[in-house]
Amino acid sequence: MMNLAQQLQEQAKKLLEEKKVDLVIGFGQGTELARNTPVFIDSPEGVSALTWGPFCANNLAKYLSDYNNAPGGTAVVVKGCDARSVNRLLDDNQILREKVVVIGVPCPGQLEWQKVSAEIKPGSTLKEVVDNGDSYTVKTDSGDYSFSKKDYLLHRCLVCENPNPVISDITIGKELPVKNYEERFAEVQDLEKLAVNEKSAYWDKQFTRCLRCYACRNVCSVCTCEVCVFDQMMPMWVSKRTNLSENTAFHITRAFHVAGRCVDCGECDRVCPMDIPLRKLNVKIHKDLGDLFNSPTPGTEPGLISPLGGFSPGDPEEFM
Amino acid sequence: MPNPTALTPYPATITKIDVEAGDTKTFTVVFDDPEIMENFGNQPGQVCMLSAFGEGESTISITSSPTRGKFLEFCVRRVGRLTSVLHQMEVGQKIGVRGPYGNGFPYEMMKGKDLFFIGGGSALAPIRSLIDYVLSDQYRSDYGRVEILYGARSMDDVLFKSDLAERWPAIQNTKIYTTIDRPEEGWNGHVGFVPPFIEEVAPTPENKIVILAGPPILIKLGLAVMEKLGFKDEQIITTLEMRMKCCLGKCGRCNVGSKFICVDGPVFSLAQLKEMPPEY
Amino acid sequence: MESRVVNKGQISELLDKLAKDYNLFAPVKDETMTLFRRVSGAQDVLLDYNNSDISPKGCFLPQNEKTFSYMYTGDSLEINKPEGAQKTVLFGARPCDIKAVLTFDPVFEGVKFGDEYYSSKRENSIIIGLSCTKVLSTCFCYAMGGGPCDITGSDLLLTEIGDKYYVEVITEKGQALVDAYSQIFAKQDTAQLAKDKDELAKKLSGEFVRKVDLTGVKELMDNNFELPYWSGDDQKKCISCGICTYVCPTCHCFDIFDYTTGDFTGDRIRCWDSCMYPEYTLEAGGHNPRPTRKERIRNRFMHKIKYHLDRYNMVGCVGCGRCVIKCPVNIDITKIINDLKEVAQNA
Ligand code: SF4
Ligand code: SF4
Ligand code: SF4
Ligand code: SF4
Ligand code: SF4
Ligand code: FES
Repeated sequence: MMNLAQQLQEQAKKLLEEKKVDLVIGFGQGTELARNTPVFIDSPEGVSALTWGPFCANNLAKYLSDYNNAPGGTAVVVKGCDARSVNRLLDDNQILREKVVVIGVPCPGQLEWQKVSAEIKPGSTLKEVVDNGDSYTVKTDSGDYSFSKKDYLLHRCLVCENPNPVISDITIGKELPVKNYEERFAEVQDLEKLAVNEKSAYWDKQFTRCLRCYACRNVCSVCTCEVCVFDQMMPMWVSKRTNLSENTAFHITRAFHVAGRCVDCGECDRVCPMDIPLRKLNVKIHKDLGDLFNSPTPGTEPGLISPLGGFSPGDPEEFM
Repeated sequence: MPNPTALTPYPATITKIDVEAGDTKTFTVVFDDPEIMENFGNQPGQVCMLSAFGEGESTISITSSPTRGKFLEFCVRRVGRLTSVLHQMEVGQKIGVRGPYGNGFPYEMMKGKDLFFIGGGSALAPIRSLIDYVLSDQYRSDYGRVEILYGARSMDDVLFKSDLAERWPAIQNTKIYTTIDRPEEGWNGHVGFVPPFIEEVAPTPENKIVILAGPPILIKLGLAVMEKLGFKDEQIITTLEMRMKCCLGKCGRCNVGSKFICVDGPVFSLAQLKEMPPEY
Repeated sequence: MESRVVNKGQISELLDKLAKDYNLFAPVKDETMTLFRRVSGAQDVLLDYNNSDISPKGCFLPQNEKTFSYMYTGDSLEINKPEGAQKTVLFGARPCDIKAVLTFDPVFEGVKFGDEYYSSKRENSIIIGLSCTKVLSTCFCYAMGGGPCDITGSDLLLTEIGDKYYVEVITEKGQALVDAYSQIFAKQDTAQLAKDKDELAKKLSGEFVRKVDLTGVKELMDNNFELPYWSGDDQKKCISCGICTYVCPTCHCFDIFDYTTGDFTGDRIRCWDSCMYPEYTLEAGGHNPRPTRKERIRNRFMHKIKYHLDRYNMVGCVGCGRCVIKCPVNIDITKIINDLKEVAQNA
């Protein structure tokens, strides 16, 4: 039995050899034991760089539109959540279905690499990762380490809605059960219970930290505006000055710009260098969309346009 | 002694506005403090940071020569946010000016030589300071023949029309060539792009310095023509434009390789440019 | 100069006193983050930390800084500058970050133009460094000429040894401070502590796992601006997010703009900016000299390993490893340095 990485490599090789695609975007070993990094493979010989495991946090669908003008097709390795991005990109006409080959891998959850790294002897080499259901065993040359999913998974993975990619041309690995999805609003519900001034104090504390680097925007696969409002100079909607009022303006605007399109891939939350819990904002909107319009997470089905997630020239714009 | 207060502009007043072309105006500016005006010490080819308060700052080259009097002229094309605001201003209004920045043209090294100026579009503005310097009563005899080849998109886009048509040709041992991109009613001069026009005029390299300024594409094509005409890299001088914020070598953005255009430039010889990465 | 000893039990007292007499900046915990903040006393300070998430560079180059405020009506203009910096102590910074401040000095205190805002802060502050007791897998200060117990740039350097801090007095400023608080900075025989510190330094120097060697890299880069390497995976995966520059203690790029505060009033602000953003070099006319991620990545890393050296004779990276940790796509300067060396040698 081949492991998943080998199966991935084999499929990628085939796609490249048969010229079905010119490029495969996947995960390769990063510069830390517990870290993988995007790799871009354009020849059958290169496929050995492809890997798979619980250190594949990045949403690679983000890169697809970079290759819209490439002559050939592009294959991309996606997890469940990333697959929602692919659907959403298709719905937004950001990518062409016929140019994209989706390699879906059912995902048992991604680990927070820094947390994991902190416990492994520096300089160790990875041998193998074993999925025990509720935990992973990371086998290295300096010994085996065990990481419970409860404590080490990325937040988004703890309440994963689609471990199995919702769109996939080639699926690698076995389908996985959905776990704990019903708890996905728990954090938001806790926040909702707070009094208005407490909520505001909570968010003030978060937003004050924001560096306004806009990494959360840049990493977002559904942030596809050609010129983002935050970069626009004429008019300048939000000043570059970082203070609570400008930062808050940024965060509210960002949350609403992705409302109805955010697929809850959690990337913004993962990359934020200041650990601002962006997912809570996004998930609150998901919750409201569900409660008010019975609308599922954007990207779960192709062609599904959620409230706030679509644009129609006939929409009245009385407030403008 | 380094100037520690370099980020603060001096208050100045607009005393005159000339409309050069549809999108270009020349502002004459005088510092409110006469002492600053007296000691400003700007050299041809240097730039200033102009403030429109409420909007910020923009780098604008000084288009006047210090030999012309105690004022500064800035020729401003409306291309962005700040320049649009400047364009709405009126005589008597205040702006902020800090500078002068940059190395300026090596006019000492040019002494005794013939000078051939090539300007495209709005880039006549930075070299005009040097033209006026070498053509001033004070220094005219230090320099040989002065020729100016200038090209604009259309008749309306021609800057410093009276300088080109009257003031400069009236000075002894000068020659002006102007061209516009496409034929137009009422234009009797040359028609065509600058690079082929240079080839046509065919300046010879003997004892001559070429001063070339224009958009990146003109610089590129112009340099090729000059090389073809036999000019050596040291004989070709150009001035670069980069986005600048501090003009003090600190904000980082104007670097080309290890050089900061704001303090090490904006004027470079082709010989120097060739040492730098092509990132301008 | 001399050395002194502070008992761990007295650190709180010291911090409380410093906070009273100075603006005290020290590492604190803010939720999950370790950040340098102004503190009012010992209670918030965290001394058992690896490296802070964001470097303390903001003490000298705040993310936002008002350079002046103006009152402008069109025909009248008044400019008011803020007062100079207050007396400040930066406490508990790590050696790499302190070395980074030295890379700022020639930028802001240049030959021709100084910077009153920076200089005033620099002159009015005392840096009390804190030796590392642990090396992270991302640290590589040793390769950039520093080290976990390096005194460079500190006015005082504290090294934790058992229940004491061994205090090295490095500058006059440091001397004045220990003299002013002599009841806490005790004069004692420190021969053993000095030995212990050397031991610690030696032990830690063996703990670096990243093998980085800068020798010859600048020289190779001098002659190799164009390399196919820059068109490789790094520029494909970079998302131009600028995190690497915001967290970097040696990145000093800034933007300047006006912030309107009323009908006729406003502040001129400078704030951090990043060479990784496309807008950074975009000219008003639309031309961009560094139009793609390839040019921008090359610029950032060349700045660190060549341009800063060319200009100021100092490497522009101190090996703090923050960009290595925080880059969302794992672009890693240590890998780049090693790769470049190999690539350029074979070029
Ligand atoms: S990534 Fe984090 S710090 Fe950066 S702008 Fe977004 S919320 Fe702010
Ligand atoms: S907003 Fe955040 S969670 Fe939503 S799609 Fe964008 S990156 Fe993913
Ligand atoms: S380049 Fe990276 S490792 Fe070097 S000083 Fe900056 S953040 Fe630290
Ligand atoms: S890079 Fe060196 S000085 Fe900085 S935290 Fe790591 S060990 Fe300490
Ligand atoms: S942090 Fe990484 S992805 Fe972001 S700009 Fe820097 S190198 Fe690019
Ligand atoms: S404009 Fe700031 S460094 Fe040149």
